[in-house]
Amino acid sequence: MTPPLEKEALVRAAVGEPGSTRRTLGRRVRSTATAYGFLGPTIALVLTFFVVPGILLLILSFTDLASVNFGDPWNFVGFANFERLFTDRFFPKILRNTVFYVFTTLILFNLGLALVLALVTTNIPRRSGFFFRLVWLLPRLTPSVVYILMWKRIAQAEPFGIYNQLVPEFLGASGGNLFLGGSPWTFVILTNGFIGASFGMIIFTSALLSIPEDLLTAAKVDGASTWRIIRDIKLPLIKWPLLFIATYQTLSLLTSFEYILLLTEGGPGLFTTEVWALTAYKRAFASYAGNSQWAFGATWAIVLVTVALMFAVVYVKLFKFKELIQEPRIDNL
Amino acid sequence: MKRRKKRLPGLMILGIAFALVAAACAGADTVDTPPETVIVEVEVPGVTVTSIVEVEVEVPTGGELITLVARCRAKQSIEEGRCNNLLRGVVDANAALEASGDDRRVQVKIIQDNPAAGDYVTEFELSSAAGEAPDIIAAAAVNVGTWGASGIIADVTDMIGDYPEFDDIVPSLWASTELNDRRYGVPLDAEARPLYFRKDLLAELGWSQAEIDSLPARLASGEYTWEDMFDTAEEAVDAGVVDPGFGWWPRPKNGPDFLYYYYAAGGELMDPSGALIYDTAAAKIVYEIMGDAVARDILLDTRLDGDWGNWHNGVAFGNVLFWFAGSWQWAEWAEFFVADLGGEEYLFENVGFGPIPALARGTNTPITLTNPFAYMVSSATENVDLALLVISKATTTELNTEYALASGKLGILKSQADYEPYTSARFQSEMAPILEFTTFQPNSPFFSAWSDAYYLGIAAVVSGEATPEEAVDIVVDQLENELGDNVIIK
Repeated sequence: MTPPLEKEALVRAAVGEPGSTRRTLGRRVRSTATAYGFLGPTIALVLTFFVVPGILLLILSFTDLASVNFGDPWNFVGFANFERLFTDRFFPKILRNTVFYVFTTLILFNLGLALVLALVTTNIPRRSGFFFRLVWLLPRLTPSVVYILMWKRIAQAEPFGIYNQLVPEFLGASGGNLFLGGSPWTFVILTNGFIGASFGMIIFTSALLSIPEDLLTAAKVDGASTWRIIRDIKLPLIKWPLLFIATYQTLSLLTSFEYILLLTEGGPGLFTTEVWALTAYKRAFASYAGNSQWAFGATWAIVLVTVALMFAVVYVKLFKFKELIQEPRIDNL
Repeated sequence: MKRRKKRLPGLMILGIAFALVAAACAGADTVDTPPETVIVEVEVPGVTVTSIVEVEVEVPTGGELITLVARCRAKQSIEEGRCNNLLRGVVDANAALEASGDDRRVQVKIIQDNPAAGDYVTEFELSSAAGEAPDIIAAAAVNVGTWGASGIIADVTDMIGDYPEFDDIVPSLWASTELNDRRYGVPLDAEARPLYFRKDLLAELGWSQAEIDSLPARLASGEYTWEDMFDTAEEAVDAGVVDPGFGWWPRPKNGPDFLYYYYAAGGELMDPSGALIYDTAAAKIVYEIMGDAVARDILLDTRLDGDWGNWHNGVAFGNVLFWFAGSWQWAEWAEFFVADLGGEEYLFENVGFGPIPALARGTNTPITLTNPFAYMVSSATENVDLALLVISKATTTELNTEYALASGKLGILKSQADYEPYTSARFQSEMAPILEFTTFQPNSPFFSAWSDAYYLGIAAVVSGEATPEEAVDIVVDQLENELGDNVIIK
């Protein structure tokens, strides 16, 4: 809608009052400048930390820059790195691992457990709910190295891991590699999931708490069961936060690798728990005898960035984000 | 207007503060023209006791005080001599400068901690790319292959002769710092990688004291082979002396050790032109050995999990019968793991060592590998001569011996053969003969990729994801993808 002042100026301009066009233009410039002024810091951040590195990454992926050729950093090799990547014997396995890791963690924890936690902690007395949410925030508050060290101490093979030391004996089962060694994926997903769940839990809790109480009371008066209330009232009303978390966490999981690096380093064995972002990191920065292949690492990373962008576009289209940002849906209830 | 006036003093203060910070930063340059005398107090944490060393640097009028930054990767308290010895060398270095009529004086700032090997290497490469490399770095000599080729460390070949201290270094050690017949570093230590065994567990298995005591000699003569070791480990598992999977342990992640398996299996690594070779027959033997160890229940299929903490706990406290490790790890166990049980005394009582046994299916001779550390000088430094001067003053019999004894490393100087504190050290004197069987890693810019690919085969077989034949195929595939024409598949 055109603001009244601007409308007035337009009318004056239409009837040919002198100076009106200049004033209108001035206002427009000012209003555009104000808008860009507010957007400025964000644009600068996105340009500095995403667009520019993205372009550098792209350029780098067409070179053969590695520790061995510092002297000739811009030796362009065309699509050689991409060819190497797509013909890598382990490329399909790493791709499968990444899809498995992202969607299992997303569905079971970042969405599933987060929703269960939000529903449970909003259905119990307020103080208890607050306490349990705080407990579930602990993994996120713990420094990543400390967090993973704790998991490692719990899950190591007998006789070192706490679980393998105590539980099999207690259950009368034979000890050994019940956890980390035997089922590394369980641990990769648990460690990441416990952290991821807390983010969704907070967003869902705030969404659930903002559902008007009279809707729930009315349903109860009509004799609706708890399950019915959740299914037919709460879930439809928090649809938008659910879609937001699904999008945000997919992208976040796609590019996360630090907990896997600390927990299993992508092993044991042959790339068992190696995900795409970890490969990009290892190629660029981790090599025992010291030949970091920055260009090849950049190639893995740029393909990942492209995939992430594609996911983002698909989610935006699929979940109709345009509608989401038009009006704050949760306040509209 | 009033408001603007009020803001002015604030802005001025900010401006002054900014100018002060800028001036302070400018003052932090490596080269100063200081007043006549500068007293530099340096606290040198000694190996066992912390001692304070005051280094008085007198700079002649018009002279320069040059600060060198030294970067060392060192385990706390046992390997800190790497950088601390450079600090200690500063006094002698300045005395030498004064004696030669040079107006420059030097001081050393050290950055010393213990990051992972790969991270440390990356840090130096990235700091070099950013123009912020330390002047001196103590790193594994194998890095000479990559760093020499990329030009981030200085070629010091023509300057080594200017420092008489370097004449004392055992000549064969220089090879580890060479690339294409040029020297890129100064050896700092040497080590061996032996087979360790638990004496108490062997006794529990029924070995006589004489059999246990003679094991190092039988290992050195080749009489007791790798295959014998596996048989003994299997017996120990079957007899319940150790748990299944705890009969024999290699290191838990990739590293120089696995290269001597390949050498022991008869593998060739470099052709005369300097190209790397992947000998499929030798590699297959290595993969078969690893698969065999898992199949016979003497090695856990999850052992290569990269977890050093878990690994050290296993070997230091007597859960494992045989293991391959480094000589320096003896000092780690004594200091960090079994100190309460008696430290080194406990180890001598319960742990023995000898060369890596001969692999009857391979070369059938005992073996070990040395991956020495060396001081290297950044090619970005303007003071290569001063860096070498300080390094030369740290390469003395006394300082190097103190470092070697604390760190479980072996000496590098000819003079140590007659130096009582070194010759009377039991661990060093028993470990040194193992060097007779030593081998090295190649200084090749492509070795890193070779090593990563070769290790993939080991990881694949141990985890049960590939047979030895499949492992060879995987590695060949990987090497061709990674190195193309820079590797010869034999």
